[in-house]
Amino acid sequence: MAKQILSSTINGEAVEVLVQPYETLLDALRETLGLTGPKEGCGTGDCGACTVHLDGKPVASCLMLAVQARGRSVTTIEGLSDNGVLHPLQDAFVRHGVPQCGFCIPGVLMAAAALLAEHPKPSEEEIRYGIAGNLCRCTGYTKMITAISEAAQAAAPRSA
Amino acid sequence: MSTMKTTRDVKGVGLSIPRPDGPEKVTGRVQYVADIKPRGMLHAKLLRSPHAHARIVRIDTSHARALPGVRAVITAADIPQLKKKAPTRAHAVLAIDRVVFVGQPVVAVAADELAIAEEALDLITVEYQVLPAAVDPLASMQPGAPPVAEAGTEADTSEALAHSAVALAKSDTGPTKAVNVSQQARVQRGDVAKGLAESDLVIENTYRVPMVHQGYLEPHAVLAEWDTNGLLTLWASTQGSFNTRSEVADVLEIPENTIKVIPVECGGGFGGKIRALCEPITAVLARVTKRPVRYVMTRREELEAGMPAPQVIIRLKTGVKKDGTLMALEADTVLDSGSFSGTVLAVSAVFLGSMYKWPNFDIRGSEVLTHKPSVAAYRAPAAPQTIFAIESQMEQIARALHLDPVAFRQRHLISEGDPMVNNQPWQSNGATEVLKRIAEHPMWKSRAEWVKGNGGHGSNGAKRRGVGMAIGGWLGGLQPTGATVRLNPDGSVSVLTGQVDIAGTNIALAQIAASAYGIDVDKVRITTGDTDTAPVTGLSAGSKTVYTVGAAVLEAAQDARRQTLEIAAAEMEASVHDLEIENGKVVVRGVPDRSITLAQIGKKGNLYMSKVQPVLGVSRPAFSKQAPGFAAQLARVEVDTETGEVTLRDFVVVQDVGRAINPLAVEGQMQGGSVQSLGMALTEGLQFDPDTGRLMNPSLLDYRKLTAADLPNIETIIVEVPSPAGPFGARGVGEPPIIPAPAAIANAIQDATGVRITELPVSPERIALGVLAQK
Repeated sequence: MAKQILSSTINGEAVEVLVQPYETLLDALRETLGLTGPKEGCGTGDCGACTVHLDGKPVASCLMLAVQARGRSVTTIEGLSDNGVLHPLQDAFVRHGVPQCGFCIPGVLMAAAALLAEHPKPSEEEIRYGIAGNLCRCTGYTKMITAISEAAQAAAPRSA
Repeated sequence: MSTMKTTRDVKGVGLSIPRPDGPEKVTGRVQYVADIKPRGMLHAKLLRSPHAHARIVRIDTSHARALPGVRAVITAADIPQLKKKAPTRAHAVLAIDRVVFVGQPVVAVAADELAIAEEALDLITVEYQVLPAAVDPLASMQPGAPPVAEAGTEADTSEALAHSAVALAKSDTGPTKAVNVSQQARVQRGDVAKGLAESDLVIENTYRVPMVHQGYLEPHAVLAEWDTNGLLTLWASTQGSFNTRSEVADVLEIPENTIKVIPVECGGGFGGKIRALCEPITAVLARVTKRPVRYVMTRREELEAGMPAPQVIIRLKTGVKKDGTLMALEADTVLDSGSFSGTVLAVSAVFLGSMYKWPNFDIRGSEVLTHKPSVAAYRAPAAPQTIFAIESQMEQIARALHLDPVAFRQRHLISEGDPMVNNQPWQSNGATEVLKRIAEHPMWKSRAEWVKGNGGHGSNGAKRRGVGMAIGGWLGGLQPTGATVRLNPDGSVSVLTGQVDIAGTNIALAQIAASAYGIDVDKVRITTGDTDTAPVTGLSAGSKTVYTVGAAVLEAAQDARRQTLEIAAAEMEASVHDLEIENGKVVVRGVPDRSITLAQIGKKGNLYMSKVQPVLGVSRPAFSKQAPGFAAQLARVEVDTETGEVTLRDFVVVQDVGRAINPLAVEGQMQGGSVQSLGMALTEGLQFDPDTGRLMNPSLLDYRKLTAADLPNIETIIVEVPSPAGPFGARGVGEPPIIPAPAAIANAIQDATGVRITELPVSPERIALGVLAQK
């Protein structure tokens, strides 16, 4: 099979690369574009470590073909901070000591950022369900919930 | 270990400081093995056995070899170091002529692209002669069961030594009669038959815990490359780089100093990344192809062929007097080790019989081999399973005798000096204090009111509330280690160890160095070196990093401080005894204008033609005294008696950490450990087909780990009963919080429904069936 041209906007920049027609978006990001922030924890959409935003919505990039992102906008964890300034969520995660092994963190942050874009002032339950698609084995989630809640309060009202 | 005096408090021990790697982790910049891709790198894949037990008749790799982009196809015949009596999984790099579990590697491929390697696997033909499999451990113990190991294979007890440093006097690892019983142990005291005969209440139960997976989010991964001099570099996701080096050297029969292991950020280990697993085969593929080769396991491979925790079956019989006096305990423990020996059999016996003061006991333990993936450690190996049994039993005794469950435990709980089942004395510990905090907790004291006050929950009255607790402990591991602390020309301090930071320990070690040297922690930089550069360091396992490496860092920092003061004394012509380190300077006590900065001392040690020695503190301690850590947990649950669904309303973990070097990191450990414990209690279990030995839930959809939506906030209560030998009194923190929840949850469910669950996970099905059986 011949490689396909993938033209899309990735972290705000227009990108054109060749990808295999069977290549997942996650593999294209990691192996072709060198964006290794999104992680593969399962490859079957169950763990959330590969979460990125596609046109602002959270998706499991391991379940999508790269060519499905053609003409669309993809944001990865590498695009969450703004010119080196941490996103309020990232800042809260650091201050509350959320990351332990860190492997789930990029996916959790992207899920949480999408949640706050839609619900700027989520309840604890909304936060818990908002990141329910992201498995974490180190933290027990408690500090994560605190950090997301604090970031929401600090940032709200925010435009998405 | 004494703390050196400083005239002001430095920013160090006791502060809740976020980990310095936080910004790297929240921006996705931290690199794990799968993120590293050197030029020319090949991808590896393994063809794995579809059978639990089969003879390999023929392997045809010719079509795979012919596929463009395939660089190597390897079978056992290509690796002369392989032996049929492989003592560990690491040694069984590829199956030789017989496979002994579903998922065992048979053929290895390296190719230009992952997709090509995967295609190559499809082109390999392996002809198997399927043999009967021993899947159930009890059946596997019977005479005539299909043998798992080759006759004469030695039992592997290294895991037990690494983790708990407990030994049983009567431990027997020699050949036994039953073909698949690989280890046996027995500990006894007093007269159990007499004790049971004189008891007023005898309770007997069999507790069952399935194999569970450690569940680290990062699958096993390794990158291997050989240079032209025959030196091997391994970028590994490991809990112990020196251990990985030793195991790979042993398996491949090459000298250790021809291997460099670089411990890359470890995306979770929990015991599952101690032993070598895919490192040897990846090294072989790299040697054959003369290219860097990366191997990353898939989640399915992790679940089918990782190294989970053993299945545990405990038959437990206890006798007590009417007033609650303990009389006798009798137990048979079976640990299913899968296809290779390596469980921590002694731990189970110690915790069954040593938590409470049983005057008479007889505990027999067997490690059994089955045709399933072999096991490894999982955070406090064998302890949650064992504590599930003994703490469920204690609960039933208290309930049957109408005794307060906490008061009953308090009456019989061990304290320092009491003999364990192996007759070693319990070291100083905070078990009593931990239990006291549960007794005082508002959720415990108000439990009767809370259980009654379930108005508004379930109009049909199907919902019931319950409160349960349990306590568990961990003895704490020991391992010699080394550390250096050096003073830099800018007056900052660098700490070097080989310790892999899997739990936030590096910030704690930096805090220890800061307090011991007399400098703020933001002036301390800590590095985990590789096996070529770092002092020899042990595993990050057994809850021993802060306890042992912390002691090494403390001593090395004290050594560096001593050297610093000696240099300052010579430079200022003052007595060492009159000097202090304050605000980055060495000052003469009471003479504020006589001082020399740490930067000046650091520079003098690094100047061309200088006669001042550089400051380099070194420590290389070994240890003999363990520091047990206890944790207790308290759960409030709501149970739907019609569906069996459990809602966890509140959860409290109380833990003695000796001294919280970094309370923020300690809380994170306690919360994370609690949720792993709750997962074992409520949802997790590897389910094997009893006939074929195939895993029936090989995905994270079917192997259910707890999510944020399943849980309440985890309340943490830190107790500090200082350990005599730990740095600043610290004890191990990582393992105790994973221990009590299975028992605490089962006890809460009994409180809510009257149903006693003796098999994990405490699933809705088991609860609903239990409720039905009561009617």
